[in-house]
Amino acid sequence: MTLIKDSKGRSKAPLTPWKQKSKKEKKPLPGVASLNGRWGYPAIAPFFMIFLIFGVAPVAYSIYISFFKWDPLGTSEFNGLNNFIFLLQDSDFWLAIRNTFSIWALSTFPQMLIAISLAAILRNRRLKGKSFWRTILLVPNITSVIAITIVFQQLFGRDYGLINGIIGLIPGVDHIDFIEGIIPSHIQIATMITWRWVGYNTLIFLASMLAIPDELYESASVDGATKWQQFKYVTLPSLKNTITFVLIVGTIGGLQVFAEPQQLAADGGSTKQFLTLTLFLYNQAFLNNKYGYAAAIGIAITVIVLIISAINFVITRRISGEGGR
Amino acid sequence: MKKLTTRNAFLGVIVAIAVSAGLLTVPAKAADPITLTIWTFGEVIQPGLQREYQKLHPEIKIIPIKNDVDPLHQKTILSCQTGGPADIIAFEVPYSGYWRTGNRPNCFQDLRQMKTTDTNAAAGVAAGLSATDIKKNYLPWRWEQGVAFNDSVIGIPTDVGGLQVAYRSDLFKKAGLPTDRVAVSKLWPTWEKFIEVGQKYVSKLTPAEKKSNKGFIDDAGSIYAAVMNQGTVKYYQPDGTDAGKLVYKTNPQIKKAWDTTVKALNAGIGARLGQFTSDWNIGMNKGAMATILAPAWMLDYIKKQAPDTKGKWDIADLPVGGGNQGGTELAIPSYSKNKQAAYDFLTWYLAPEQQLKVFKTYGLFPSTSVLYDDAALLEYKDEFFSNAPVGQIYTKGVLKLKPIFEGELQRKIDSTFGAGLGRVASKKMTSEKSYALVISDIDKLFRN
Repeated sequence: MTLIKDSKGRSKAPLTPWKQKSKKEKKPLPGVASLNGRWGYPAIAPFFMIFLIFGVAPVAYSIYISFFKWDPLGTSEFNGLNNFIFLLQDSDFWLAIRNTFSIWALSTFPQMLIAISLAAILRNRRLKGKSFWRTILLVPNITSVIAITIVFQQLFGRDYGLINGIIGLIPGVDHIDFIEGIIPSHIQIATMITWRWVGYNTLIFLASMLAIPDELYESASVDGATKWQQFKYVTLPSLKNTITFVLIVGTIGGLQVFAEPQQLAADGGSTKQFLTLTLFLYNQAFLNNKYGYAAAIGIAITVIVLIISAINFVITRRISGEGGR
Repeated sequence: MKKLTTRNAFLGVIVAIAVSAGLLTVPAKAADPITLTIWTFGEVIQPGLQREYQKLHPEIKIIPIKNDVDPLHQKTILSCQTGGPADIIAFEVPYSGYWRTGNRPNCFQDLRQMKTTDTNAAAGVAAGLSATDIKKNYLPWRWEQGVAFNDSVIGIPTDVGGLQVAYRSDLFKKAGLPTDRVAVSKLWPTWEKFIEVGQKYVSKLTPAEKKSNKGFIDDAGSIYAAVMNQGTVKYYQPDGTDAGKLVYKTNPQIKKAWDTTVKALNAGIGARLGQFTSDWNIGMNKGAMATILAPAWMLDYIKKQAPDTKGKWDIADLPVGGGNQGGTELAIPSYSKNKQAAYDFLTWYLAPEQQLKVFKTYGLFPSTSVLYDDAALLEYKDEFFSNAPVGQIYTKGVLKLKPIFEGELQRKIDSTFGAGLGRVASKKMTSEKSYALVISDIDKLFRN
């Protein structure tokens, strides 16, 4: 790692002027900063109090109950590591992992493609009604998930849904059951997620596209690059960091997919074909009243998130290490 | 015990914080008008009757809050731990086993200890009646479903979900089947015959109709619950203990219900429309199914969803006869602050006179057996269902019903079997494989 830093020498350059500046200024900073020391702790206390009560305490409590057989309205007994052992043996858990990642892949990658293309269109300086298009992109994002699910469920209905109505027009093709099929049900859920988040990601891509200096495009066109080549060799490389960001945020969201499958069928389908990790946790806790087991699932999800974060971290380091800005 | 206290202490702290925060910000209200908050689902609380009660008692405000059955159950469990705003809570009979077991009855007020006041004396409810006194009005086995195993009365029954067959006489005619309800009932003395009639109906469908998934019955999977409930034992066998003995692996009735349903599924008589899905709602209007196994409470749903089919429906007897599905209890949570007002409302609302009115407008079949020989009930006909003597048909069915022991996890086991049949219906698994998976899924319920 040090090798890369040394050879580029990037990290040094911007830091130096700031360091010199801070050495010169020795008198206390004006404004809020002057309260440091005396009022600092009380000022940040409300956040940490709330965080302690609603953040740390429940986490500590769930770790505690994950070692119990815990019925909310019955008796609770110490269960040792049985919850975790049982979890690893539970086929539903592995199904949930499969489903979660399948839905994540089916929603993230098409979403990224659509968002980048939309952003490239919106970037066009000659486009009329820019604010209108940008605003309208966010509308799906602020719509309630339940409302989206209800509408999409009608679109994807097996017998009378619009999509199957169109599919049925093709001779020789049968209606697709978007609930019972494994991949079709994942597609249905992924479509809802894409619908909800594509606008948001478009805006993020758009912002970072607008930050690309025009000179790069100008010199590219002087060199005779077509629009497509400009996109491929100027726009895309500049978006590398943004793509990583969107991927990370998408992964976090992907591991939390809950409302969409829950609305389709609370138990995750007859063969658990769209049971996701969070839905699995919720069902164990609130349908089966196994709080201890659900807490163990929660810990397992945390471990999965940690593993993914580590992978993300390595990839991010590699990408930002390799590519120039 | 120690664990329980720690947990209670923890909840106590949170509640204390919440309460003190509430006290600081919300000014105390005038105590005069009483607000009754009712957690309910479906059409259990009928708006018409609610208005009538408020006219009788302007000092009482009734606020029903609706949820679906399962989320409501979860809400009730949570509120039992932390307290809540409800004064009356509805729970469905499949959940009654859960609430009657262990120390869970403590979540609800023992209604034997309540006494009616004279506030409804003019409306026919005498003063000084405890739950023990009104028991005689109700169907005995139905009443027992609201009695906990520690003998406290936690719920009063609202309705009996008697099951019959609602059928489309116009579609029957088109398929060359008899249309008269007596003749139709004679078509299917057994479930095997019912399936045969279904096959005959399906064979008359045009290829286009078959392609659009039309069928004889809405969801062949619904046959399972109907056959199951015609037995006397489901998944739990009463053995003198609260919990009952688990017999889901051995009870022959389960295998019989499963096999009958699989036979129906394989015969292709179902339109494969899951009940209460959007396709089901639309299909009802489009004649996607010729029959629905309809509990009394579903009739109103059909009327609302398929108004265009008015007069095309009729009602026939269930094969074998005597079917049950659903039914609700109304209970008063122990944290309620208006127990007396809630009890007065309950005793009025579930009195025979009011249950009869509910039946006529919403089709919920009364749990008050004193009505079963009442002419007003027996002579009641429904225009929507071709003037079928709905009262008579459902009374006949309900009187044939045998009480079934509902165990602690009844609802959960039922839905596990439902999912298993779903797998067979969608041809995802063979019947044997799916059955094995159901059993292992239920085994999991009792681990951890």
